[in-house]
Amino acid sequence: MKKVTARAYGLLILVALTILGMGVYIFRYARDGGDWASFYANDSVYKNGVLNRGVITDRDGVILASAGEDGFHYADSYAVRRACLHLLGDLNGNIGTGVLNIFRPEMINYSFLTGTTTEGGSFKLTVDADVSAAAYNALNGRKGTVLVYDYQTGEVLCMVSAPGWDPAEGVNFDPNDKSYEGAFINRAISSTFVPGSVFKLVTMAAAIENIPDIWGQTFTCTGSDIVGGQKINCAGVHGTINVEQALACSCNVAFAHIASQLGGELISYYADLYGLTSAHTLNEDIPTAAGSVPAADTAADAAWEGIGQYKDLVNPYAFLRFVGAIANGGKAVEPTILAGKKCGETQLMNANTAQYLSEMMSYDVSYEYGTWSYPGLEMHAKTGTAEVGDGTTHAWFAGFITNPGHPLAFVVMAERAGGGYAVASPIANAVLQAAVNG
Amino acid sequence: MELVQVLFGKAGPLLAGLSRFILPLVAVVIVVRCVRSMLRERYDPETWAYLYLPGEVMVPLRHWECIIGRAKSVDGQIDDPSLEKMHCCVIRNADGEWTVYNLGRGVTMVNGQEVFPGGEPIADADVLTMGDVSARFVDLTEEERSSLLQYRHAPGRHVRPSATLLLLTVFQILLLLQQMVYNPDAGVGVAMAFGILCAAQWVYFTVLRASGQTGFEPELLAFFLSSVGLSVAASKLPGDMLKQVILLIVAVLLFIGMCLWIRDLSRVKSVRIYAFGAAILILAATRVLAPQTYGAYNWIYLGGFTIQPAEFVKILYVYAGAATLDRLFVDRNLIFYIGFSAACVGLLALMGDFGTALVFFVTFLIISFMRSGSFATIFLAVGSAVLGIFVVLSLRPYVLDRFAAWGHVWEDIYDKGYQQVRAMSAAASGGFFGQGAGNGWLVDIRAAETDMVFGVVCEELGLITGICCVASILALAAFAVKNASAGRSSYFVIAGAATMSMMLTQLILNVFGSMDILPFTGVTFPFVSMGGSSLLACWMLLAFVKGCDTRARGSFAVKRPEKFSGGAGVDDDGGEPAGDGYVREGRG
Repeated sequence: MKKVTARAYGLLILVALTILGMGVYIFRYARDGGDWASFYANDSVYKNGVLNRGVITDRDGVILASAGEDGFHYADSYAVRRACLHLLGDLNGNIGTGVLNIFRPEMINYSFLTGTTTEGGSFKLTVDADVSAAAYNALNGRKGTVLVYDYQTGEVLCMVSAPGWDPAEGVNFDPNDKSYEGAFINRAISSTFVPGSVFKLVTMAAAIENIPDIWGQTFTCTGSDIVGGQKINCAGVHGTINVEQALACSCNVAFAHIASQLGGELISYYADLYGLTSAHTLNEDIPTAAGSVPAADTAADAAWEGIGQYKDLVNPYAFLRFVGAIANGGKAVEPTILAGKKCGETQLMNANTAQYLSEMMSYDVSYEYGTWSYPGLEMHAKTGTAEVGDGTTHAWFAGFITNPGHPLAFVVMAERAGGGYAVASPIANAVLQAAVNG
Repeated sequence: MELVQVLFGKAGPLLAGLSRFILPLVAVVIVVRCVRSMLRERYDPETWAYLYLPGEVMVPLRHWECIIGRAKSVDGQIDDPSLEKMHCCVIRNADGEWTVYNLGRGVTMVNGQEVFPGGEPIADADVLTMGDVSARFVDLTEEERSSLLQYRHAPGRHVRPSATLLLLTVFQILLLLQQMVYNPDAGVGVAMAFGILCAAQWVYFTVLRASGQTGFEPELLAFFLSSVGLSVAASKLPGDMLKQVILLIVAVLLFIGMCLWIRDLSRVKSVRIYAFGAAILILAATRVLAPQTYGAYNWIYLGGFTIQPAEFVKILYVYAGAATLDRLFVDRNLIFYIGFSAACVGLLALMGDFGTALVFFVTFLIISFMRSGSFATIFLAVGSAVLGIFVVLSLRPYVLDRFAAWGHVWEDIYDKGYQQVRAMSAAASGGFFGQGAGNGWLVDIRAAETDMVFGVVCEELGLITGICCVASILALAAFAVKNASAGRSSYFVIAGAATMSMMLTQLILNVFGSMDILPFTGVTFPFVSMGGSSLLACWMLLAFVKGCDTRARGSFAVKRPEKFSGGAGVDDDGGEPAGDGYVREGRG
């Protein structure tokens, strides 16, 4: 008998397996329960596949989206609806990175302990509905994106992407229509673009730290030059200029010479260092696209790499972090879109380098762009006109303002829309005016 | 709903809301009480005879089937080099008659007469010679047998079953209240069903308590699980409750009948051979007669009832598969059993019921391990099973599909992951405390009340209650293992373990299949899943768990030692409750 009874303990293997399995289940439930519960088939919180609870407001309490027994509603204002479309996402899940998709568990007020409850979630975003609407209006039908955030707290005030549609109407356009190209993509976080001259900030930072006599160097621009056997064209004839002037007037000839001194490898290294080639996550859950700045082998390619052309691609969100770090003494406060939720900070660059860049970006405005272009704003910025390769250019304008009480960094990118100064700079001005005075 | 309004007025929904948080706690207390009762009580061994060695060294024989030999792992160890490691075994039948079987290459003699294959009877005062050792065999006297009970501990002293039953009643009242408030279709039928279940369990308890029984843990757990199952049924088909509760009553009656039947081991053994034939016959007949339903041939329609014969074959399989010690050491018996098992599993595979085939296979592993103790046999079996699985998978692409979806159900929410993602979503939606009995949506998905019942329980009653259901089955398994040490016959020890391996495998496949931890195979959760055949089979199988419980006054499926009167086994157990019914230590 003892032999048989001892073998009965074999049954404990099944008991152990059951306990192990329950452990796995409870672990997964704790980790993913919110995603499970907010699945559209959960009739407790969805009505015919549409959320029936939850309210999302902007930083001032303006309702951006609300769900109840009577259905789902977006903001009252048409401009706000369109401006916040990509941030929030739509009910059909076309915009995967939208808050409505990523923060479904919060929307249904899911909790590990109580599951779903009769009360929906109510949560506040850091965005400002008015600033966002101003950005959307300033884009004025152009494709592109506007990002504004507080570089001291990380709060994102505005994250607008175009083209879009009125979510209250639903998708009633042909997605293959050229004018709706990429309508389902949040360009601010999910796309990469040729940066053009805004990338000269990266090259400049590398030069400050690696070329000891950079401040003493002068460059002679006659409208073009031969670098590494290849002709480099410039937008103007800048004459003999120093490095500050070179950045301000965005002289390609000067930066081609700086870039060839640095070499493609080093420029790539700095792009990596400043997080421009890595994928980030916004609020730990929203993924962003990684840019790429491959190291050029030849002097000519390195020259174009340093000017922000060659094969350079940059994600607007990553660039926002970068200019935010320049504004904040080298320290990038990680952006957040959830009110009251901090996401930490990252020391992106040397504080001295940040200080030099900051002063140069201020000089850009006083020397080249004109302070009158930004009334009342203590503007620090860099333009970019990125050649796409088909004759069109992306218009960039990136930088920050240091107005007391408004420590805001921004990135404006208007896709195939023309010159940075002509197109992107007025958009930035309009948005920042709304943020500071609105 | 009207009833609740009449009783509580507007406070009904409030009470129901509150009860959602109380219900899981009651469930925890019920399960914890049962587990404590099972584990707290001392499992004193019974003694059925003695061997007196030269120098009056006494070797007690604590089971009905005892191996005597030199090895440490035998029941009666005699440390003498002239003995084989397993020299012989002595076996007592239900009538109190003992038989000696020679096991090894050694020689065993009774009163100088050599024991031949087939055994030799041995009685009180006979001399048993093994190798160079002669021992006097001493049977229990009448007085010893009747006092045996008093020296052993009865369950129920530390944890009173009546209090647990009262809690179970509270649990059922809370379930009913929630059904009435949350389930718009729940009417008088649901109330009556819970009432009848409650009444049935009290009658059961009162009758057995009056006849001196104090061990009720397995039944309490089964009643607990059945209550949860009844709530699932009320959520699914509130209009069909009469059928459900009648099934439950029939299940309990069959359980009682089964318990009474297995009291007499010789009776059990006498019809065991028919169980083999019946199992094969039923499976074969089902394969031929059953129409195809969802790709399987496992349902038979008989006079308005749908029957799943494979469920009943589970009982036959355990019944036939367990064996007494004398049969265990004969290789040909094991080979016959392996062949029988292969036939059963093969027929189930042919029926397309792969979940049940898997349940049988795991049970086969447990039984064959307990019978042979040989890992070689098991490796052989696993090897052939793996081969078999390949054949099955190549023949049945839809089985392969399930494996393909496994672990990736969220990538296939419209097709192969359809059921699992919904089960997981609903389960998470329930949180720890549930949305309330009758307040779920998962139950409306096809097969939710059977294959995804864990999801339904978690959604409506919460994760805590869900875990309690799992813990109940685990507790029954631990109980079967613990009881094994004091088992009388290996038949009951094996049957108990086999039953629990069956239930555990079902639970593992049901819970982890619906939650995408294992491939989704579609088997039932014991006692909880809706379905008559499954419910009846589970209750009947529970008799085997009762059958290995030899605690004093623990189980009416086991005869009390004082009730054996020498030769003929008088089967009369309607005895008086002794005093307060609880046997105190040191009395008598």
